[in-house]
Amino acid sequence: MIKLIEKIEGEAKLNFSFQEGRIDDVQVDFMSSRGIEEILKGKSPLDALVINPRVCGICGHAHLIATVQALESCYEDIKISKKAKIIRELTLNFEIIQNHFKWFYLTIFPLFGLKQEIMKALHPSQLMGKAIALFGGQYPHTSYAIVGGVACEITNMDIIKLQRYIDETIGFFEKNVANADIQTLQKLENTADIMTKQGDLPDILRTIEKNGWQKLGKSYDRFIAFGENSCFAKGKLLNARIYRNVFVEDVRESDSTTSFAKSVHYLDRYYEVGPLARAMIKKNPLIKDAHGRYEDSMFTRILARVYEIAGLLTHSRSLIEELDLSEPSYIKPDIDISQLNSSGSSAVEAARGTLIHKVEIENSVIKNYEIITPTQWNLCGGDNKNRGVSQKAMIGLNNTDIAELVFKTFDVCSVCTTH
Amino acid sequence: MPDRIEGVKKLFTSRSARVETNKGESYYNDLFERCQTRLRELRVSQPANDRLDFSEVLSNNGVDRRDFMKWVSATTAMLMLPPMFSPLVAEAAELMNRAPVIWLELQDCAGNSEALLRSDGPKIDEIVLDIISLEFHETLQAAAGFQAEKQLEDAIKTFKGKYLLFVEGSVPMGMNGQYGTIGAGAETFYDHLMRVSKDAAAVVAVGACATFGGIPAAAPNPTQAVGVMDVVKGKPLINIPACPANPANMVGVVIHYILTGQLPELDSLLRPKFAFGYRIHDNCERRAHFDAGEYVEEWGDEGAKNNFCLYKMGCKGPMTFNNCSIIRYNEAVNWPIGVGRGCIGCSEPDFWDKYAYERPMANAKIKAPAGGVEKSVDEFGLGLLTAAGIGIGIHAIASAIGGKKEDGGAE
Repeated sequence: MIKLIEKIEGEAKLNFSFQEGRIDDVQVDFMSSRGIEEILKGKSPLDALVINPRVCGICGHAHLIATVQALESCYEDIKISKKAKIIRELTLNFEIIQNHFKWFYLTIFPLFGLKQEIMKALHPSQLMGKAIALFGGQYPHTSYAIVGGVACEITNMDIIKLQRYIDETIGFFEKNVANADIQTLQKLENTADIMTKQGDLPDILRTIEKNGWQKLGKSYDRFIAFGENSCFAKGKLLNARIYRNVFVEDVRESDSTTSFAKSVHYLDRYYEVGPLARAMIKKNPLIKDAHGRYEDSMFTRILARVYEIAGLLTHSRSLIEELDLSEPSYIKPDIDISQLNSSGSSAVEAARGTLIHKVEIENSVIKNYEIITPTQWNLCGGDNKNRGVSQKAMIGLNNTDIAELVFKTFDVCSVCTTH
Repeated sequence: MPDRIEGVKKLFTSRSARVETNKGESYYNDLFERCQTRLRELRVSQPANDRLDFSEVLSNNGVDRRDFMKWVSATTAMLMLPPMFSPLVAEAAELMNRAPVIWLELQDCAGNSEALLRSDGPKIDEIVLDIISLEFHETLQAAAGFQAEKQLEDAIKTFKGKYLLFVEGSVPMGMNGQYGTIGAGAETFYDHLMRVSKDAAAVVAVGACATFGGIPAAAPNPTQAVGVMDVVKGKPLINIPACPANPANMVGVVIHYILTGQLPELDSLLRPKFAFGYRIHDNCERRAHFDAGEYVEEWGDEGAKNNFCLYKMGCKGPMTFNNCSIIRYNEAVNWPIGVGRGCIGCSEPDFWDKYAYERPMANAKIKAPAGGVEKSVDEFGLGLLTAAGIGIGIHAIASAIGGKKEDGGAE
């Protein structure tokens, strides 16, 4: 039995057991908790808007959007302007983009024996942080979204700055990550086409190939995504078929005896969430091709996450074109939220996958609040019958270094997992 | 109660609460000499690490000398030092690798690390603090697991009594500390903090959680979370609250330490006065609208479109001490009031329970002393101190320790 301690955002403990030189089981434990759901109970529903972004320092904005949408779903009918929707979506995109850059250069690089590229991680993340701050005031931990819209009143000046931040980030991506025009990159359909490019991403992929690791880290090959917007689609992929009807009500959490992280399953099955899941459900040609070759392996997972940046950047650029500044930022709801006795839920695609919030409001206060984070889907410890997604991906490998790499291709965040 | 208010008033208007931006020529001349001596000593000492050459890193990142000197003047001003100190601040920045920093993450969301390391702050702040001086940071360092634990051990031993310990996150005391453990031996956060702080030169609590307990300590405080100053005793301690703390303030503290070998002057909540000496309200870009009685009355109204004052929407700027209105966030791109959301008071103790954002002032659990609007606003700080659930006595003792360092000269 070997123990491995991982420092990520917080900490997880991996407890491996070996049989005949191969990992035959691994226990994943998260060792700290803050009890955020307990803290929310009895507080004013609107307080959740400032508390929840603090669940996570890396994907706090996704938590903000999940909160505001959960609260809005408590209404029978609530109007949100298109402008407010676009602003929320843009900021969500920026947060995902900055996360992926940091993951790639800070977490993945050293695992391939390369130096951490701190400035390569920082520069694009700073640009995206600034883009978020234009709408949100600061990053991390913004609270600019309110029930009924957004608080910010942006001007054309802000739009010009925004375009510059996006273009600069695209420039960085084209120069460093994959050396080609971003439009060309988007149209790729064959894995071989990206392998022949220059850049940090193809370099890493070539290293995986050279080491013969392409098929390592396979899990259940089941994917799910709930967060639907102009960029992401909802659905699940099971037995090579895509099903569009999935319901948040069927998502269940169950306790773990050894870890603060609860397990999450959909109709009694574990699913992988995140960029790979999103790309598969959206039928992205390049990722589908890579998946056809290597299935849900570390190769496909790394490619999907980094490649998602390109899609999000160009999508954001086109979203800006649709912004109509003359629309209202905020439309006052018919009833004040404190007058509602209701419940609601939301699902948002965060950097690491589907984030779900469920809320019950009674007598002007929060009666119950449930947060289900992406890392719970991917990294939960499983149960007696079935192993969790990342566990399954590590079982069968022959050393803990490779297992660590596989584990980190899921982009671990323990502060979110336990909240 | 009147006694108590009087007492608090006295404390609030006492010397410790005043920000003196000009301490007189002889003070500065004396300080200048001490700093020079300190920097000379540092220059001949061994670098804590030889990873990077400062000027090389600057030029590699496209920062030229002019940008650097701009940053130097801004930092000198932020530390409330006269311009003659600029060359010394520049030198201190270049000697950053002489001050080892160890960074612990306890019960947190990594938001301050994010703010510091990755998402925020002018480039030079980042270069100065993030890359050069961090001896140990769990998130940033490449080492993991047992290797990382050993690295921490080594850092503690090598820099015994010399390192600055930055702590992010609160300390869960419930269930014998089992709400947060670290490492293979499942050491509790409390034990971990005690062990690493023992040999620190000073402890810097960063962010709302590490300073006053933050979100984990919000009612009903399920894990019985407390701030660093509630458990670490007998050490010079400094609080840099806010959620997240502003990286500029973290850099300021380190530069001040390099420069003088001391902690900067602190207020009664152990916050550096250079950053927390004024209220958000004092320098708010919307202050003129407050004075003119122009308020946002409802989200999205004409007032909101015209950037009027957010006081009636529950802005806590009048009773929150911090320099956000000057420094702002994300390379000064913006700040919460800039997007019309108002201040939530995140650098004050217990703000989650006392005045979470959505409750306008009238409904907040703290009351301003009687008087007109402007008066009550100006004295909100008093209400705040009265309401602070933390024993003022503790701070008095702790500030005395911090203060001694400030007065007593060299380390």
